[in-house]
Amino acid sequence: MVVLRDGMCPGLSEELVVALRAADITTGTWVLINLFTLVNLASRCGNALLAIRRVLLAQHTAFPVSGADLYEDLLSSTAILSTGNPSLDKLLDSGLYTGELTELAGGPGSGKTQVCFGVAVNISYQLKQSVIYVDSTGGLSASRLLQMLQAKSCNIEEQMEALQRIQVFPVFDIFSLLGCLHHFRCVGLQQASAGGGSVKAVIVDSVSAVISPILGGKQNEGMSMMTQVAGLLKTIAKDFNVAVLVTNTVTRDGNGQLKAGLGQTWSHVPRIRILLQRLERPGSTCSSVRTATLAKSSRQPCHLKEEFDLQCWGRSEEQLYGMSGKRKHTEPS
Amino acid sequence: MTTTAKMTENGAQLFARLEGRRSLRDIEPHIFPDGAGPIQGDVVEFHGTEGSGKTETMYHLVTHCILPADRGGLEVEVMYVDTDYHFDMLRLVTVLEQRLGEDAKGEDSGAAVEPEERVRACLGRLFVVHCSSSVQLLLTLHYLENTFCSRPTLCLLVIDSISAFYWVDRSGGGESVAKQEANLRKCSELLDRLLRDYRIVVFATTHAIMRNYGHSAQADLAAMTPGPSEPSSSSSSWRQWPSSHASNFDKAYLSRAWQRLVTHRVLFSKGEVTKDRKQVFSAACTTTSTRGTKCSSFCVMEGGVQFL
Repeated sequence: MVVLRDGMCPGLSEELVVALRAADITTGTWVLINLFTLVNLASRCGNALLAIRRVLLAQHTAFPVSGADLYEDLLSSTAILSTGNPSLDKLLDSGLYTGELTELAGGPGSGKTQVCFGVAVNISYQLKQSVIYVDSTGGLSASRLLQMLQAKSCNIEEQMEALQRIQVFPVFDIFSLLGCLHHFRCVGLQQASAGGGSVKAVIVDSVSAVISPILGGKQNEGMSMMTQVAGLLKTIAKDFNVAVLVTNTVTRDGNGQLKAGLGQTWSHVPRIRILLQRLERPGSTCSSVRTATLAKSSRQPCHLKEEFDLQCWGRSEEQLYGMSGKRKHTEPS
Repeated sequence: MTTTAKMTENGAQLFARLEGRRSLRDIEPHIFPDGAGPIQGDVVEFHGTEGSGKTETMYHLVTHCILPADRGGLEVEVMYVDTDYHFDMLRLVTVLEQRLGEDAKGEDSGAAVEPEERVRACLGRLFVVHCSSSVQLLLTLHYLENTFCSRPTLCLLVIDSISAFYWVDRSGGGESVAKQEANLRKCSELLDRLLRDYRIVVFATTHAIMRNYGHSAQADLAAMTPGPSEPSSSSSSWRQWPSSHASNFDKAYLSRAWQRLVTHRVLFSKGEVTKDRKQVFSAACTTTSTRGTKCSSFCVMEGGVQFL
């Protein structure tokens, strides 16, 4: 609500504020809506009220943009960030799009955090851009990031530079997450990240760890805070032109099918959703192969499935291609 | 407001305002019952769970509005209010290009206008506004009143979605239901005035987030005896729609002021997957002026919605 104060706009003097308050009008929206029913006041200060209305509209409304201009902006500013894994890239239609929120949902041990590490390493090393990593589970392991980087390059300086481009923000409850996101929105991502280079991705691992504890029961604040987190993430994605990647848990619906957690309200939030699952292969335990299913997408038909190996980010190019050659020989014909 | 503020309009605008804006009655005969399509002053609500095809159908209808008349469109302007950054311009342009491409096949190849120019010309008829809170939505609708007045070809206002601020408003209003619904009530009153004064059509999407417990028995009763039904504990705050296709998630939870405005309600749901791996969606439309429900099914292809 926009509270009326002295000096907010020309013509809004202290006496007028007092007079309006006497008539029980304290907020700007009331002024706008009931402007011409204020018969007594309008005769004394009609011009001032019109001025207030103009200023309020100018400061607090959103202005329409022509579709053609919006399309031009989008064409020139949208970038596609590869995840480093060709199977995931195929599902995502060549990578993470900036300006959008992508969700990775999976049960425990399905590889969500490993995929987040892989994406962060790929963006900071291959694409030489900064990444903001909001860690809410305590699962971030710098040694694993270093291991992935060591597989890509033997130069210690390059590894350190790439690690510096990944900025970590630990948050362990909803209020610190909201504070962190508000901070990004207010000061901008460039100032929030100290690593240099422009920030191209914000990874939140995981969003369900801080939101699930506040849902449920007869209170509504939990749902409201979840909606605020969603709004902030999307605003950050659009205004700063970054790709936002979040991770979520899974539950089963009435038919026993896997679906993303956090309920119906959250399900509308991401633009793209990928479900990660372990592969049930008889005779192989501790395998690092996972299946990714496209559950929601605006660009590709849903239910596309791809298999990929979690270790692909930790291997160098020759090992990857050598590995796949070996696999071809051992596959039953 | 229109009588007291000094707004000047030229003769063409006055004529357009008195004659009325373009009717959208025949915008999509598959979805709406025969002869009961949305006319000036109607409000259509698209209701459904996530992934049930609401936004795709919206893009389909918006494309039909902004296409030029020689391509089978209505050539009217559309104001799209996006409340949760849901609007995907790239997807809309894909649908638009497919529609322009397939219509051009029937023409001779010596078309003077470039396809990109055509897309830009169509997009020039679309205006997009982002709102991030219900107060901003209210103030923006106030501001848009001038836009509606000065543009007589602006016939359609799309609000996607009007339920985006439901939880934030509900928690911000404390214990009083009136305070919780205050913003949406004011938006609905303002929309009512815009509908009456400027004779536009409003399409709005609402997310289905409330589960309907124990509704199916009442729905059968309502379908058999149309008319005012007894209010019961679980449904005292919403109008009884004759919905013999009541799904699990179609409870109307927005304020009564909004529900009074709605004249057409389309319920979307996901069907099953066909043999050639296409997901089928269904839309069930009920209106205040007709009895019964019009059902239709569609798939979503590369070029948008295709009705079956």
